[in-house]
Amino acid sequence: MNCRSEVLEVSVEGRQVDEAMLALLHTILLHRSTGKFHYKKEGTYSIGTVGTQDVDCDFIDFTFVRVSSDELDRVIRKAVAEFKDGLGNSGNDGMGQISLEFYQKKKSRWPFSDECIPWEVWSIKVNVVNLANEQERQICSEKVGEKLGEKVINIVEVINRHEYLPKMPTQSEVDNVFDTSLKDVQPYLYKITFQITDSMGTSVSTTMRRLIKDTLAL
Amino acid sequence: MAHFDTEYQRLEASYSDSPPGEENLLVHVPEGSKSPWHHIENLDLFFQRISFLHYNEQFDYVYNLHQKNGFTCMLLGEIFELVQLVFVVAFTVFLVNCVDYDILFANKFVNHTDSSKVTLPDAILPVDVCSARIRDNVFVIFIILISGVFWLHRLVKFMYNICCYWEIRSFFINALKMSMADLPYFTWQEVQARIVEIQKEHQICIHKKELTELDIYHRILRFKNYMVAMVNKSLLPVRFHLPLLGDTVFYTRGLKYNFELIFFWGPGSLFENEWSLKAEYKRGGNRLELADRLSSRILWIGIANLLLCPVILIWQILYAFFSHTEVIKREPGSLGARCWSLYGRFYLRHFNELDHELMSRLSKGYKASSKYMNCFMSPLLTVVAKNVAFFAGSILAVLIALTIYDEDVLAVEHVLSSITLLGVCITICRSFIPDKHMVFCPEQLLKVILAHIHYMPDHWQGNAHRYETRDEFAQLFQYKAVFILEELLSPVITPFILIFCLRRKSLEIIDFFRNFTVDVVGVGDTCSFAQMDVRQHGHPAWMSAGKTEASIYQQAEDGKTELSLMHFAITNPHWQPPRESTHFISQLKEKVHREASGGQQGILTDNAVFTSTHSLQSDSEPHSLIANLLMGPPSLSSLHLGREGSINPVSVGASEGASALRSLSPISSSIHLRGSYPSARLPRPDQPALAASRAMTGSGTDAQTISSGSSAWEGQLTSMVLSEYASTEMSIHALYMHEMHKQQSQGELSRHTWYRQESDESSESVNEDLESTRNFPRSSTFPCTTTPHQEGAAHHSSRQQRRHGGTTDSVPGSSRVQRTPRVPLGGWSEETRTGRHHDTVPEEGSEDELPPRVHKVRSVTWATVGSF
Repeated sequence: MNCRSEVLEVSVEGRQVDEAMLALLHTILLHRSTGKFHYKKEGTYSIGTVGTQDVDCDFIDFTFVRVSSDELDRVIRKAVAEFKDGLGNSGNDGMGQISLEFYQKKKSRWPFSDECIPWEVWSIKVNVVNLANEQERQICSEKVGEKLGEKVINIVEVINRHEYLPKMPTQSEVDNVFDTSLKDVQPYLYKITFQITDSMGTSVSTTMRRLIKDTLAL
Repeated sequence: MAHFDTEYQRLEASYSDSPPGEENLLVHVPEGSKSPWHHIENLDLFFQRISFLHYNEQFDYVYNLHQKNGFTCMLLGEIFELVQLVFVVAFTVFLVNCVDYDILFANKFVNHTDSSKVTLPDAILPVDVCSARIRDNVFVIFIILISGVFWLHRLVKFMYNICCYWEIRSFFINALKMSMADLPYFTWQEVQARIVEIQKEHQICIHKKELTELDIYHRILRFKNYMVAMVNKSLLPVRFHLPLLGDTVFYTRGLKYNFELIFFWGPGSLFENEWSLKAEYKRGGNRLELADRLSSRILWIGIANLLLCPVILIWQILYAFFSHTEVIKREPGSLGARCWSLYGRFYLRHFNELDHELMSRLSKGYKASSKYMNCFMSPLLTVVAKNVAFFAGSILAVLIALTIYDEDVLAVEHVLSSITLLGVCITICRSFIPDKHMVFCPEQLLKVILAHIHYMPDHWQGNAHRYETRDEFAQLFQYKAVFILEELLSPVITPFILIFCLRRKSLEIIDFFRNFTVDVVGVGDTCSFAQMDVRQHGHPAWMSAGKTEASIYQQAEDGKTELSLMHFAITNPHWQPPRESTHFISQLKEKVHREASGGQQGILTDNAVFTSTHSLQSDSEPHSLIANLLMGPPSLSSLHLGREGSINPVSVGASEGASALRSLSPISSSIHLRGSYPSARLPRPDQPALAASRAMTGSGTDAQTISSGSSAWEGQLTSMVLSEYASTEMSIHALYMHEMHKQQSQGELSRHTWYRQESDESSESVNEDLESTRNFPRSSTFPCTTTPHQEGAAHHSSRQQRRHGGTTDSVPGSSRVQRTPRVPLGGWSEETRTGRHHDTVPEEGSEDELPPRVHKVRSVTWATVGSF
């Protein structure tokens, strides 16, 4: 509950899925990443630099900016590819949702595992459309490009709002806020999950988890 | 860049030896480690725990005069609960299997070599025989297994809770800056105010910059509000029409647990998590399908209940036996005592009312309620009871006399048991014999009750003397014995209610949740009734006519929206209601004020009564100061009633005292103090006496330099009196609203022709109730104003000055200030006089506590000042 959630909806053609997703995810991550922190004595730190680079899409008439970190790109590409496979395998006319969740870790005492508390969730609902001929594709590629442009502006607007962000951590806590595994860039801790089709019904595992939690909390 | 560089470095004095080449980098200082309390995941649970722990502390404090660490108390309590569970099971198994009852009852003789005495160990079977018997008994093993699982579950829960509360404890200490020892001194309102403060700094909720009181209440009471609304709209199947018993209410803890399981948190419940309703339930499209699903779920849960019924039943019986037998043996009358039923608690609960608020309200109404119920002693029963008591008493007297003469009588078989039985019999009979000095004035008593419980059905008005009313009231206020019995029957009846009654309502339930759920930013899905929006859920017959746009389906019954709104606004004076509601509140307050000052009818005549009762009460010595302290607020309140918050609360009644005090201990800080007291609607009711104490200590120190530690008592005093004041104000408003409602619905004030004039005694009895309402712990040792904590006293007295100041100081709003209190004063003081002179009690009159104690306050202040 205690987390913002933003929903973006796009309709794209099958082959545009990964590029559209990459464009949106990268845009969000661009604004949610900082340079690496270099901690010094007395609890101060300096921030490293972050490079950016433009990416041209093949199937969409669109160019987006991403953090020039190949590692990050690889991770996201992998997630998006899985999502696309899932969409392809699902058989029905392709509805899906990919969500990018930023969270904080809270260290707990021994018997419990660390809590992951999300503070912002971006859900991108994807609707895959089928197109008949090349001309439609042409139009679609332009249209999707425009739409994505709008979304990017949308994202920037949301991010520009003065809203809650985790506070800058000290050295010992940096792992609770930032993903420090990458060499050249340091995004906020994030998680990419996806759901295929409108299967909003809770799965068995989540139900069980909640049941246990509820009985404990009672 | 260089500029920034220097600025940052200046903060860190020791940061001077950075390696060359890095000076040009921007250097940041992390802010993270300061508090772990920003951004809490489950605020619902978090706030619940805070309120629970806080309440626990208070609870703990009230009963343990010495300050103990409430956390440890809670820990111990939980541990003992676990131990108790083991004990109940183990002891039962032992009693069933390991005792040789033949020896115990002396049906079988033991051959001892040395003596003929039978000792307890003789009656206990040896271990191997015992364990063999247990092993052979499948049923016992089954029970042990079940309870073992149950116990393990409790153990895990206990561990989990401890960890959570430990965290909350550190939240109290580190973030709210309240030590556990001081916690009992803080009222919930103060804790809440600190949480709101904390939010500004730490952002525990990330959606908003600021939390409001309502947000916190919504989170704590999310599900309770739903339940209250469902009971209010009679959605839950708790009322039944039975062939022999007539209308009955059956609502037990087991049933409540099942309802909650079905709606809120069980597997497949309507709620996705603590804060949001599942999306499909918010859409109207497939309501039929959802209703089907819900009804099949209810069926399954009902069947599960049915299957588990024997286990639960056995548990309930054992538990009831072990927890109640001792009490019943000690005081058999306790079975005849009454308690507020679970249904009553839901019926009487306001929206957004915390447990402790409800409980204190109901406890204040307890005495009047039991008195009311006692009015209805059936004369037949009384005659029978008197005679039974007589015969039983004579036999008992003879037996006791014989025993005193020679105690061998006790050894005769059944003599001891018959003595016990006769004793119990007499006690029971006595509870049927009404008090000789009882006065039958139900209408008045019901008014007193209403002042505390705030809700009652319309048809009770004017029918207080009827048995129907009594029976209906008994549904809210049942015998303890009935309560225990219902709890015992609950495992058997619950599954049937679920399967046959609740299932039929599944469509209504689905509709209810869809229609009455609103998504509040930063809070999640809450019951829309709990928003207390007069426009959406107001009832035209409850003073919100013209403002409400609600259909009949949307209107809350019994004026719940309106009364809840008033209650919430009064208990949380800092809360900023939405505009509509503000309008409603101010209008109502103004009306009450006008009525009061106009002195025509209803409430005012009541006040006259109360004046008289209070003057009676205050004459009794022991309470003098505290009583007067407590008397103070209502008078101030009455003076203050119609006013809106921004005006500085001044009471003319106290003004003389205040100016006198000023001559003793001059303070010039009143103006800026008033500034710091901007919008509270409440005057500080404790001022007069505290001012006195200040005069006594003679300190002219500035108020703001208090240390909270030393002024703990005074802090407690302030908060308690404040809450007392709030509840009084709420009582006035509740009565007024009911009165208005009555007039509105009947067109005229109904005159009850049936009334017995027993003025003196009735006022006496009301008076007693008054005392009971001031259930003021530690009154004997209460160091009200005599504790010469200089700083504390100074602090309060300066607050006092803040209030009194307005009377004498030149203030921008002084003309207003002069004007406003004048009107009520005239009205009230005149009432005071009339109240004293008239011995008869006007028939509407029996509000509990609205004593216009202007004169009293003043005189006490004078007296105290004089004595020093």
